[in-house]
Amino acid sequence: MSNQSVGQGELLTTPISPRGELRPRSSKSSKRWQALVVTGLVFCALVSVFTTIGIIVMLVVESWGFFADDQIEIWKFLTGTKWTVGQTQGELSYGIWPLLSGTLRITGIAMMIALPMGLISAIYLSEYASKRIRSLLKPTLEILAGIPTVVLGFFAVKFITPYMLEPIGDFKTFNATSAGIAVGILCIPLVTSLAEDALQAVPNRLREGGYGLGATRLEVTLKIVVPAALSGIISAFLLALARAIGETMVVALAAGSTPTLTLDPRMPSQTMTGFIVETFKSESVVPGTLSYFSIYAVAAVLFLITFGITLIGQIIRMKYREVYD
Amino acid sequence: MKDPINQPREYRNDARRKMFSSSFSVICLLVSSLAIVVLATLLLSIFSTGGGWLNFEMLTASHRENNPEESGIGQAIIGSLVICSICGLAALPIGIGTAIFLEEFKPKNRFLRMFHGLVQLNINNLAGVPSIVYGILGLTAFVYMFGAFSPIRVNDQPDYEIGATYFYQTKTLGGKYVRFPATAEIQPVFEIDQKRIVRKSTGERFELNVVSATTVESKYEGKKDETVILGTKAKLTNHQGVQSYETKTLGGTPVFFTAEPTYSQFAKILEPIMVTGPEGDAFELNVLSKSDAIPTDPDVQSRSVFADSPDPNKRSSASIFRENSFFHMHLPFSKSVLSAGLTLALVILPIIIIASQEAIRGVPQTLREAAFGMGATRWQVVRGAVLPSATPGIMTGAILAMSRAVGEAAPLLAVMGGVLGTTNHLSSLMDKTPVLPVTIFKWAGDENDGFEHLAAAAIIVLLAFLLLMNSVAIFIRYRYEKKLA
Repeated sequence: MSNQSVGQGELLTTPISPRGELRPRSSKSSKRWQALVVTGLVFCALVSVFTTIGIIVMLVVESWGFFADDQIEIWKFLTGTKWTVGQTQGELSYGIWPLLSGTLRITGIAMMIALPMGLISAIYLSEYASKRIRSLLKPTLEILAGIPTVVLGFFAVKFITPYMLEPIGDFKTFNATSAGIAVGILCIPLVTSLAEDALQAVPNRLREGGYGLGATRLEVTLKIVVPAALSGIISAFLLALARAIGETMVVALAAGSTPTLTLDPRMPSQTMTGFIVETFKSESVVPGTLSYFSIYAVAAVLFLITFGITLIGQIIRMKYREVYD
Repeated sequence: MKDPINQPREYRNDARRKMFSSSFSVICLLVSSLAIVVLATLLLSIFSTGGGWLNFEMLTASHRENNPEESGIGQAIIGSLVICSICGLAALPIGIGTAIFLEEFKPKNRFLRMFHGLVQLNINNLAGVPSIVYGILGLTAFVYMFGAFSPIRVNDQPDYEIGATYFYQTKTLGGKYVRFPATAEIQPVFEIDQKRIVRKSTGERFELNVVSATTVESKYEGKKDETVILGTKAKLTNHQGVQSYETKTLGGTPVFFTAEPTYSQFAKILEPIMVTGPEGDAFELNVLSKSDAIPTDPDVQSRSVFADSPDPNKRSSASIFRENSFFHMHLPFSKSVLSAGLTLALVILPIIIIASQEAIRGVPQTLREAAFGMGATRWQVVRGAVLPSATPGIMTGAILAMSRAVGEAAPLLAVMGGVLGTTNHLSSLMDKTPVLPVTIFKWAGDENDGFEHLAAAAIIVLLAFLLLMNSVAIFIRYRYEKKLA
């Protein structure tokens, strides 16, 4: 600060903030304070980085404990068709496919429900709905999205199975279908809100162009708006897929604890997440045992799949996003 | 341009196309309103199952095995509240800090910019990680701390601990309970009560015979090296790096066996010692020997113990107890509310960061420019201009993230196990506690049909709680919008 305006300078160093307190102008000490704060903020940001590093290190190290066991061969883990880890009797089999196929079956059923319903709801909310219907549908979807998954699991096993499925077919008490339906229900709001965001990002100019050419609302929606928002819609689908694969409490309650390798949706089907929960529930997890290490091996497969899908979804959204300005 | 008349029929502006369009809108409406039907069915089925079971007793009682009528969710409600507070205290500052860093401190330095982009990408990916994976991370990082410390055993003092007092408690002849501090002079001992596998100092393992003092010892004449008398005491030692009990067989050879934490440790009282009575009165304990007669004066009785009585009811050995203060902590955190709260914090961290980022992004640029124009540093701009106007948005996001945390069951199941009820009330951060979502999960899977109704009643409580939190969020948003207008 120059010497010539000492009096003025003093005034300027103490401006009055909107809340009326005196605050010094950026001086040496406030810059030092800022450096301190920034360091603190960097540490905050590091927490999330360390979370990822922690997950990866943990999965690699502890899965190594599983595969380093004399009884385990990694090839049999990846190709085997029988899973008996955690069971006290019988021969030890540790093929991941029954668990993986359980996850895929339930995810498949869930996606058959969530993708079309979510997309149609999104189209309706974005292109058709009047303000009044919107103000009814939006909160409904928000409430549905906020319902804890354990509640949906309870709904699946105590309502969907006995009142919807058992009257129409020979469904087991715990089956893939009821779990799939419940997972589908919890994915609908996710697909709807992400797809709606993508649809609304399409500028009105494009719609107006369509109408100007004499297109009906259906044609504008399906031939102009949806293709323009396709990258966003696909990334919404992928996020819902990852969510369904990682869903835990619904399948733990409704899908049963028998690992099966079948295409029959009426049969119980333990998923990867279901196996992990079942192991924790029995409280027999002692560090260093085979069933303890098997949790990490299964979790590693689960993490690779969900992380991969989320990453692809992000890349699609960033790379293929249509930019209108 | 082509002549519209020669285009395929479907492109012509005829009644059929309009009909398609309007019927599609009807289909859309029907499909969308399915969400309302599903929600209504869900709520109805839960209220009809659990509504009748919801009462005050149920809200305050704790779980009872095979007795749904007297079980309740008192402990679970408190557990959920405590864990969510820990979770919020950990996740909010870190999450908001990260959001401020990402939005307001975009660095010019090339290396830091890379770090910046990496953090952003990483957070979006973390939001997609299944919560059960966070649960496993919590188990590894907080409960066992990657195996860096020796695991916590019951009645065993951890290596790194604060806020816990260990003391011995014993019953005097007068039936009065007295306690004295656990010090090194009084070695904890362990009484052998059953056959167990032991090893000699050479490493050889065998099963130890346990005979009562009255049994004909001749039966074990040739096996004196493998036999002890029932009630023989074993000392806690460190044998070849492992916590072990050490005792001598009848033959006089020392043997070792693993210190099992579930068995209580005893201290042998052989000489007078300062103790504290139940009313906090300190006095010296009278130690009688085996041959002494029982004193008749009740006052003397209540101050005396036998040094080594053959009668187990008058046994002078004192059991070890631990008293935890509220700040009791140890490493690793083991299966505790602290581990659970921190794990949930990791689960909701990405959600809080993303919500806060959006709130900060919504602050108009003009506010920042005005503050910069006044000569504020970047942090002063954030502190004085950005944060105050972003707070309602951040709060809304934070409450929504917390309501996600309240309903999470999978990570808690991984970190604390399926706890349904505890005998001690939650008194420190190192205690375990039942929580609402896990209780619902365990009850829903219970064979006893009563628990199905109870689970539905617990769900109603949980949903009411979530509704309350969401109303607060909506209220904040509403007030904020009115203020801006």
